[in-house]
Amino acid sequence: MATEQRDASNLESFKKRWEPRIERFRRSWGRFTEHKMGVLGLLIILVYSLWSIAPGFFAPHSLEWVAYLGEPPHDARLTGEQIRTLPHPPAFGDPFFAPLGTNSHGFGILTLVIYSASNAMYIGIAAGLLSSLVGVPLGLISGFYGDTWIDETIQRVVDVMYGLPFLPFLIVLVAIRGISTTNIIIGIAVTSWLNNCITIRGETLSLRERSYVESAKVAGASDTRIIFRHIMPNILPLSFVFLAQDAAGAILAQAALAYLGLADFTAISWGIMLENIKAEGYVFEAWWWLIPPGLAITLLAAAFYFIGFSMEDVTNPQR
Amino acid sequence: MTRISGRYLAKRVVVSYLTLLVIMSLLFVLLRSMPGSFVSSMIDPGMTAEQVERIRQEWGLNEPLWKQYVNFMVNYQTGNFGRSPTNNAQVWDLVIRRMPRTIVLFGSTFLVGFVIGPLVGMYLGWWRGSTKDKGIFSTSLFVYSMPAFWISWLFIWVFNYELGWLPSAYMFTQFPEFEWTAFTIMRDVLYHMALPMMSLVFIGWVGSMLIMRPTMNNVTDEGYVFLARAKGLSERTVMIKHAARNALIPVVTGAIISLAFLIDGSIIIENVFNWPGMGQLIVDAVLNRDFPVAQATFFMIAVLVVIMRLFTDVVYTYLDPRIKFGEES
Repeated sequence: MATEQRDASNLESFKKRWEPRIERFRRSWGRFTEHKMGVLGLLIILVYSLWSIAPGFFAPHSLEWVAYLGEPPHDARLTGEQIRTLPHPPAFGDPFFAPLGTNSHGFGILTLVIYSASNAMYIGIAAGLLSSLVGVPLGLISGFYGDTWIDETIQRVVDVMYGLPFLPFLIVLVAIRGISTTNIIIGIAVTSWLNNCITIRGETLSLRERSYVESAKVAGASDTRIIFRHIMPNILPLSFVFLAQDAAGAILAQAALAYLGLADFTAISWGIMLENIKAEGYVFEAWWWLIPPGLAITLLAAAFYFIGFSMEDVTNPQR
Repeated sequence: MTRISGRYLAKRVVVSYLTLLVIMSLLFVLLRSMPGSFVSSMIDPGMTAEQVERIRQEWGLNEPLWKQYVNFMVNYQTGNFGRSPTNNAQVWDLVIRRMPRTIVLFGSTFLVGFVIGPLVGMYLGWWRGSTKDKGIFSTSLFVYSMPAFWISWLFIWVFNYELGWLPSAYMFTQFPEFEWTAFTIMRDVLYHMALPMMSLVFIGWVGSMLIMRPTMNNVTDEGYVFLARAKGLSERTVMIKHAARNALIPVVTGAIISLAFLIDGSIIIENVFNWPGMGQLIVDAVLNRDFPVAQATFFMIAVLVVIMRLFTDVVYTYLDPRIKFGEES
């Protein structure tokens, strides 16, 4: 009996606590959907997510599929004549079906593009999350303890990191730690948390002066409690904006690294498709191979930017 | 006139100098922790252990690490950047030869980008929320998301490969038939610059637009804008003469910072267009383990960034009279 009652009251207090938040979320969501740009971004992300969850369902062929030979096991080899037609422009029906053509090894471009989605999503979201996890807390702490040695130290670290050029620094990091997707993500995160930190710090500096922080202080709340319970909820929307922008930046940075030959060649990614087309010298001959990966990168990065800037509009307190 | 106190400025200069020292130490550690060494590329299989040892001796690699570090710190602050093992030339000479080429291409790109970007940002910020704003803004974000090398390839494909209008590589015509006069050289460089510049500007202007748009939107609520309107000035005059001028401040400081990052951004485009500038030098140096060159170029970028950041803070106080630094109130 007693426990039941407590459960009920727990539920009640839970409801009481979360209802305004849900309400606020619903309101923000309504404002977010006013921005067609943001909704478009979400749709693109949704499509890419589906691709990365179930690529086999969307791709016309499996990854091992080869033009003329079809699905494995291949019981024949490509004849010289067939090899000469590769990379093959988009073809429908016999002798094989490749909606976006094939590359020089006879793999379907559309299949590769769809199978690469998971890699790009992983890099974007992981790098964005990592750099937010570093930049946001540091910015919060730095802003909260503004004008003390803690703030000074963090800002000097930021200054030092700013002095290191982004792309060369990434190249060195990847060269030291070895070229793998994880290391590329870490490298991008290490170099991209600076802007988060600076902006969050500025915002915290102004939030710190609000009266509710003052009153919390007077009520005897600890610094940690003030930071995480009072200031952080106001910072979160802004940090999501940065997360989206960092994700976009990470995807573009990974493409740039792949162009320079610094990408994990065992993984399948759009950057590597573009690197392959350069290495094999088909940049200006096989437009069906050149355009899809680049467009895929552009669309995903744009989707993150779209969401980020729509969020900025939604969370902008002046409107 | 001076809104910045001398004491504060002196403190900032000292801190900037210390920051540089830390960056240098970091560079030393980073580049030494890269696997491999440039010596391995100079060693022939036929060399005896003695000869290898002599090469190591010559490049100062046998000295204890702390001594290398001290030498590095002292040499750099006296302007002695050493020799490049792979290019067999003084590092300083290499940089001096490469730097102007980067400045020519990226300086002009920078100027064009910072004319287009703020102008577009001004219009979008002024009419924020309109259909025009939404359309142009999302298009520009889409453009901003394109990988730089990919868009360069598309441009080369269309204008060089298909149409044959513009050259796609190098800074000068190879084995030219024209006389080397100042005019023909200039024309030739401009001709070769067209495609890389187009690709850079195509993406690059968005950055300054992104800074200009929100600041422009913020000043629309300011009192002096209302006053200007109340005086009966046309909407155009209010926007350009009164609002935009004040909204430009963050853009100017943003521009100063991004000037320092130009070299950074140059890497990919220089690689695509075979432009013999700093970006190529840096990447080659890092990939070939040419530590003296890599260190020197990193160092120069760091100096540039640190100076620019100091400079922006000072400029800021002059541009916006409301900002004060270092005056305890």
